[in-house]
Amino acid sequence: MSNDDDDEDDEEVIEIEADEPIEDQLVAASEADLLVMARTLLAPQTHDAWSTLCRTRKLPPMIGETCERILAATLAQTWVALWRRGGTQPRPALDGRRARAWQHEPAELEFSPTTMHLLRWLVATPLGAPASTLDRLAASPMTIGDQVLIYLALECASTTPAITGIARQPLVRACPLAWLGFAHLFEEAPPDKVDFDTLMHGPGAHVVDALGGEIARRWFQVELGKRAVTSPDALVALGAAQDGVLERFMAAADKRRRRDLAMFVLDAAQPSFARNIAPLPGQLDPSTSLSTRTRARIAAGSLLRAVERWGGWDNEHRGVRFIDDDYATAQIMLARFERISSAGVERAQLWLSELAALAPVAPPPAPTDATVIVP
Amino acid sequence: MSRVVHVEDGVEAPLEMLPILAPERQAEILARQLEDIGYTREGDLAKRTEPDGTEVTIDLKKATVSVKLSAGANLEETLERQTRSYDDARDRNQVEDNLRDQVIAELDERLKEKTEAMRRQVTAQLERKLGDLRAELDGAVGRATIDALTERAGQIGAIESVHGDEAGNVTIKVKL
Repeated sequence: MSNDDDDEDDEEVIEIEADEPIEDQLVAASEADLLVMARTLLAPQTHDAWSTLCRTRKLPPMIGETCERILAATLAQTWVALWRRGGTQPRPALDGRRARAWQHEPAELEFSPTTMHLLRWLVATPLGAPASTLDRLAASPMTIGDQVLIYLALECASTTPAITGIARQPLVRACPLAWLGFAHLFEEAPPDKVDFDTLMHGPGAHVVDALGGEIARRWFQVELGKRAVTSPDALVALGAAQDGVLERFMAAADKRRRRDLAMFVLDAAQPSFARNIAPLPGQLDPSTSLSTRTRARIAAGSLLRAVERWGGWDNEHRGVRFIDDDYATAQIMLARFERISSAGVERAQLWLSELAALAPVAPPPAPTDATVIVP
Repeated sequence: MSRVVHVEDGVEAPLEMLPILAPERQAEILARQLEDIGYTREGDLAKRTEPDGTEVTIDLKKATVSVKLSAGANLEETLERQTRSYDDARDRNQVEDNLRDQVIAELDERLKEKTEAMRRQVTAQLERKLGDLRAELDGAVGRATIDALTERAGQIGAIESVHGDEAGNVTIKVKL
């Protein structure tokens, strides 16, 4: 703590304001709703997400200084909120240091007016209404902090009907982190303007690192769900979104020499390999044409194709010699790839060929406890 | 109303062939196996048309198989509708136009349903064939793989014996 009195006072104020109930006398009721929304996104377990999202209030065009200060203090807790989501486990970094997420000293997250637009839209929009009736949330330039808030909004709404309405907004569809975490919501390949490069350096890379486990769990759940999909068109749309995200994210990671950020692919696939749960859809609508069903089955292999790509990387890592510059990094990658290994890549290739086969055999039933598997 | 319709369904799948020899040589070996089971070679393609019209085409270069079945028919549909008009001739024309539009829309819908039923029939017919076709092609690819392995073994040394078991495993003894 600083010796300077003013600094000390500021820190105390921030601590109280960020954690304690928002008093009505400090901020206007509309501002309180805005602050509750921000807190719900950062700590959904402390609020009823659905009732917060459903509550609607018309907001005045500006907020007061007190609200601004409390909001800044709340957003300052974003790193903590991310670390609580899985950044607490010590992991080896590319420099060889084994440390917890905060020990890698990530840069401060920056928030632009886009965050305010998002929060205002979430408060002012009746998210319980049909998605097609909602006001449009236009795309605007966004920082990594803004991307995190958009991701958290999707996560917060993930178990509610509001998720559809949020996911179809142009701002959300322009957010690379949203695509990475929730590709299954978008039903098409990401547009060209979605730049995954922003997640490959600085705070963006730290964010992906902290959320990696959570993203992997979500992709695994989607993978499990493919077995029960009956509509070929839905599976084709899902495949287009997942293939688009994985191809472009992995290409960006490769270009920026941050392949470690794509480790979630392996974490997402590993439980399926361990339990032999292939993403073979078993009940595709038999009234649809064979060509459509074939396209759908091939589309279901997005994650497996990414594992295959990882297999190619692994071969490259094995070829890095002791005297090469990238030796230490390659060794870390090899160690982390070990849980999948070449056997996993072979399994992925086998499943891919089964998905593309002339007459695919019906998938074996998944283990009954498949839904409780965690990567 | 009559309409000539054409429905088609098909699939394309890769053939799982191990890369043992140069692709061109493997394609030759596979083509030989396919010719033995009734395929006709046309350049890089091997084709066969089944008695029911199913067309099987194998691209030897890309190692893919595509199976296609199509059907065509001249569908006819008739419909009678009556209505009454109590007003003058101008109104009768209006009523007649409306009735004609309704009938055309209904006929169109019926023909669409018939076309879709035909498409489903084609799909079902094709689906029934695919299991046997896969087994047949797996067999041809397996035999082509053994031939390729034997040829490769011959390039390495003198083949002493080739022994295969019922499970499809092949042991080739080579004297170096």
